[in-house]
Amino acid sequence: MKTGTTVNRHATRQSTTWLLPVVWLLLTICGTAVAEEQGGGAVPNPGIELWRAVREGPPPGVSRSQVEGIGMTTLIAEGGERWRQLRSNYVAPWGGWALVGMLGVLTLFHLVRKSPERFDGSSGKVIVRFPDYDRILHWFMAGTFLFLAISGLILLLGRYVILPLVGPQAFGAIASASKEGHNLFGPVFIVSLTLFVLRFAQRNFFARGDLAWLAKGGGMLSGKHVSAGFFNAGEKILFWSITFGGLAISISGLILVFPLFGQSRELMQLMLLVHGIAALVLIAFTFGHMYLGSIGLPGSFNAMNTGKVDADWAHAHHDRWHREAEEKGLIEKAPS
Amino acid sequence: METIAAFLEGPFWYFSAAVFVVGVVGRLALALSLGSSKSLSVPRGSASAGAVRAVFSRFVPRRDFYRRIRLEVIAGYAFHVGLFVLLFFAAPHVEFYKEYILGFGWPTMPRWAFIVVSEIAFAGLIVLWLRRLLHPVSRKLSDAGDHIGSILIFFVMLTGCLALGEDHESLRLIHLFLAQLLLIYFPFSSLMHTFTFVFSRGYIGAGFAHHGVKA
Ligand code: HEM
Ligand code: HEM
Repeated sequence: MKTGTTVNRHATRQSTTWLLPVVWLLLTICGTAVAEEQGGGAVPNPGIELWRAVREGPPPGVSRSQVEGIGMTTLIAEGGERWRQLRSNYVAPWGGWALVGMLGVLTLFHLVRKSPERFDGSSGKVIVRFPDYDRILHWFMAGTFLFLAISGLILLLGRYVILPLVGPQAFGAIASASKEGHNLFGPVFIVSLTLFVLRFAQRNFFARGDLAWLAKGGGMLSGKHVSAGFFNAGEKILFWSITFGGLAISISGLILVFPLFGQSRELMQLMLLVHGIAALVLIAFTFGHMYLGSIGLPGSFNAMNTGKVDADWAHAHHDRWHREAEEKGLIEKAPS
Repeated sequence: METIAAFLEGPFWYFSAAVFVVGVVGRLALALSLGSSKSLSVPRGSASAGAVRAVFSRFVPRRDFYRRIRLEVIAGYAFHVGLFVLLFFAAPHVEFYKEYILGFGWPTMPRWAFIVVSEIAFAGLIVLWLRRLLHPVSRKLSDAGDHIGSILIFFVMLTGCLALGEDHESLRLIHLFLAQLLLIYFPFSSLMHTFTFVFSRGYIGAGFAHHGVKA
C-alpha cells in the first residue's frame, strides 16, 4: 500500500514538471508586453504608488468616510509609528531607569552621609507648624498623586516589568484597573492640587536668603544647617515644580481623558509625551521629598503628622521662622 | 474563576445579605426595646413634633458653628450624597438589584454622571478620613472600628472604580467580594448610623421639645 502511494505521488510530480517552463515563458511574454506598453525597460511595482498614496493620505477636503469623525479618512497614521517608537524606545526605558537611578542615589546618600541630628523632644517645647487643614490638604494631594503615579507607571512600564512576571491574563486585568483608576482619580487630583496651591502659595514666594541657601546646597553635603525661613529654597522649588508640573499634567491629562473637543490625534500624542515626561520628573522629585520628609530628616514628619514640631528642630532647620515664632510668643510647652 | 463566581454569587451572597438584614433589624429592635424612661415633668411642647423637627433640622449645621466645620459639612455631604446616588442610580448596581433581589429596575444615570459622582464621593471620603486621622480630638475619639469602616468603604468604592472597564470578570468579583464583607461588617459597626441617626436625633429632639429647650 505504502509503496503504491509513493509511486503515485512520484508520478504526479513527474507529470507536472513540464508545466514550469511553460509558465516561465508566459510570464516573460506578459512582462515584456506590459513594459512595452508603458514605454520603458524597467518594471515598476504598482504597489509602491498605491502605498505611498495611502501613507500620505488624501489631500484635505477630497475624501469622505461613511463614519464621521476626526481622522476617519486616514488609512495609515504615519506619525503614529514614530510616536510609538519615541514612547517605547526612549520615554519608557529612560524614564524607568531614571526613577531607579533616583532611588539608588537616595539610598547611597543615606548610607554614606553622617547620621543626621535627632530631635527627640528634649527641648520640651513645640511650635505649631501646620494646622489641621494644611495637613489634610497635603495628604489629600499626596495620596491622589501617589495613586496616579502608581497606576500611570503601570500603564507606561507594566508591559516590560509586570507582564513577564504575571502573564497576559493577570496583566490584562491589572492594566484595565490602572487605566480606569487613573482616569477617575485624575480630576480628584486636580481638585486637591488647586486647594493645596491656593493655601500654600503665599508661604512659597522666593525671598532674600533663598539664593544663599541654594549656593550652599542647603547644607546637604556639609551637614551644617543653613539659615532658612518658614520654607527653605529647596522646598519652594518643590512647591513650584508641583504647581506648574501639576498644571501641565492636569491640562495634558484632561485633553487625553476627554477626546470631545475635536482634538487631533497628533495633539493627543504630543500631550501623552508631555504628560508622561512631566509625571516622571515630578515622581522623581517626590522620591527625594518623601525621603527628606520621613527618615531623611528626623523630626520633619511631625510637621505633617501632628502639625507640631520640636522647637530645636525648628531652630536648626528654619531658624528665621523659629525666631519669628519666639518673638510672637508662639512656642508652646510640649504636651506630655 | 467560574467556581469563585458561583460561590460569591450563590452561597456567599445569601450569607452576607442575611447577616446584613438580620443584624440590622436585630440591633435596631434591641435598641428600641430598651425604650426610654417616662418623664414626669409637665410637657412644654409636643415631643413627636420635636422629634420630627430634629430629624430634619440637624441636616443643616448651626450658623454659629458652620464657619468652623465648613470642611466637614462639605466633605460630609459630598461623600454621603455621592455614595447614595452611586448605590441607587449607577447602572451596574441597578442591574444587580434587578437580577438578584427585586426583579425590577429603574432609570439610571448616564456613565459620565456615574463617574463625576464617584469622584465627588471619593474626594469627600478621603477628606473625611484624613480629618479623622489628623484632627487631634477626633483621632483620640476614633477606635479601630471607625477606621475599619472608612477603609472598607474606600476599598469597596476603589475596586468598583477599577472595574469600570467591565472587561475582566476578576475585577468585578473583587468588588463584589469587598461589598459582601462590608455587608457582613455593617451591623456590628458604627456604620449602623445609616439607620440609627433617625432614632438618635428623634430621641434628643423629643426630649428637648418636652422640656421646652429650643435647640
Ligand atoms: C509619603 C510620603 C510623604 C511624606 C512623608 C511627606 C512629608 C512632608 C512633610 C514632613 C512636609 C513638611 C515639610 C516642612 O515641614 O517644611 C511636606 C510638605 C510638602 N509635601 Fe509632602 N510628603 C509626602 C508625600 C508628598 C507627595 C507625594 C507630594 C506631591 C504631590 C508632596 C508634596 C508636598 C509639598 C508641595 C509640601 C510643601 C512644600 C512647600 O510648600 O514648600 N508630599 N511633606
Ligand atoms: C491631573 C490629572 C491627570 C489626568 C487627567 C491624567 C490622565 C492620563 C491619561 C488619560 C493617560 C493615558 C492613559 C492611557 O494610556 O489610557 C495618562 C497616562 C499617564 N499618567 Fe496621568 N493623569 C493625571 C495625573 C497624573 C499624575 C499626577 C501622574 C503622576 C504623578 C500621572 C502619571 C501618568 C503616567 C506615568 C502615564 C503613562 C504615560 C504613558 O503611557 O506614556 N498622571 N494619564
